[in-house]
Amino acid sequence: MTDTPTLGQDLSRLEEIVRRLEDDDLALEAALALFEEGVTRLKSAQGRLAVAEARVMQVLQDTEQSGALRLEPLDG
Amino acid sequence: MSTPDEAWSVSKLARAIKRQVEDGMEPVWVRGELVGVKRYPSGHWYFGLRDEAAKVDCTLWKGVASRLAAPLEEGQEVFALGTANVWEERTALRFNVTRVVAAAGIGAAAQAFERTKQALLTDGLLDPARKRPLPPFPLRIAVITSIAGAAVHDIITVATRRWPGVELFVVNSAVQGEAAPAELVAALRTVARLDAIDCCIVGRGGGAREDLAAFNDEAVCRAIAACPVPVISAVGHEVDVTLADLVADLRAATPSQAAEFALPDRQAVQARLLSLGSSLFGQGMSHVSSAQERLVRTRERMGSALLEQLRGTERRLLQLDGTLPRALERHARIPRERLARLEARLAPAMERPMARDRARLGRLAGQLDALSPLAVLGRGYAMARDDEGRLLRRRADFPSGTRFTLTVADGTIAARTEDA
Repeated sequence: MTDTPTLGQDLSRLEEIVRRLEDDDLALEAALALFEEGVTRLKSAQGRLAVAEARVMQVLQDTEQSGALRLEPLDG
Repeated sequence: MSTPDEAWSVSKLARAIKRQVEDGMEPVWVRGELVGVKRYPSGHWYFGLRDEAAKVDCTLWKGVASRLAAPLEEGQEVFALGTANVWEERTALRFNVTRVVAAAGIGAAAQAFERTKQALLTDGLLDPARKRPLPPFPLRIAVITSIAGAAVHDIITVATRRWPGVELFVVNSAVQGEAAPAELVAALRTVARLDAIDCCIVGRGGGAREDLAAFNDEAVCRAIAACPVPVISAVGHEVDVTLADLVADLRAATPSQAAEFALPDRQAVQARLLSLGSSLFGQGMSHVSSAQERLVRTRERMGSALLEQLRGTERRLLQLDGTLPRALERHARIPRERLARLEARLAPAMERPMARDRARLGRLAGQLDALSPLAVLGRGYAMARDDEGRLLRRRADFPSGTRFTLTVADGTIAARTEDA
């Protein structure tokens, strides 16, 4: 697994951030920090949404004793 | 009790008996041995169904006979589906058969099915509590099916339509025939070795009941249960539920449906992201502007308070000037200078944090501008969406009376189309 947050994580964090920003008594410092994080999450989520190229691969197993897996593009 | 005066005709009795027998009789499967099998030149078959204690006369009409897999044989053990009929002319009861299946074949398969089901039940593999939920955004999906079949194309088509950035990892396996169970098990193990897979679809297109045997295989069911990621079964068939369906975390009726279950709809996610973005923008800006107002007010208050203090001191100095000997003037000059120094220090001390906040604000606004939909909104455009978040792009999307939501830079507005 990679360390970058998944789309699901970005979306639920964004929802949480917006919810917390709705509190008018939030200190400016905290609000700005949340806002900055929200902008980062928004960018990351939009980046993931923008990926428009599907990858369809066939998983093949080497018959040699190694049994290593190989990926080859599969034409839908 | 009836009396001779009210005597029924024989026909009336026959009709009453017929009604009594036939009304409300659902088709029923009967197991028995075939006896007295006769095929008439007309194409109809007549025979009896018998067990140790009873015998029922049966008819099987020509139309049904033409669909028989094999001719009926004397002494054969069968399952027969039919309904009871009364032949009025003789008040003779006949079981009218519409389907016949040899008991030998069905018996063995059904027994194996039950045995496997019991074994899986005993080990808790059919427990609904062990079903895992699908991840909300499974974008790397393994697909186990035959690459020669239609199922793989159905899945690819639906998956790429719902989520154009999806990654599919197809593991080829026979899905029917003798090799199928072992190949399915091997494929499930292969999926376990793939990196960062979110879920797995195992399936095949529709087929006859016998073709689904691999999906009732115990080893296949256990491999599904052991799969490290949630498994969606997609064995295309109408009525039969396979054991693989029962073990899988989710059952889809067809391969296309499995892809629909697995993947979120990108348009819906896009709409959600857009509305989150505009809420974030609106909320963030309202915090910043209220803080800015507070800052300005504080500055004004502090400024006038300081000025007031200075003026007071000045007045007092002037008074002292007039009433005290010159000798005191030297002392009075000292606080006046201190005040001037204090003012010189205070002003920049107040400016600094404000300048810092302004710079941060400017930077954030720049970042926001880079987010295209928001930047576009900021230039004064608006986006119209219906209740389900779909973008309304054309005049035709706005029939009179349409309720829709306008998204502008700092939030949303509920709107409705009026007659043009």
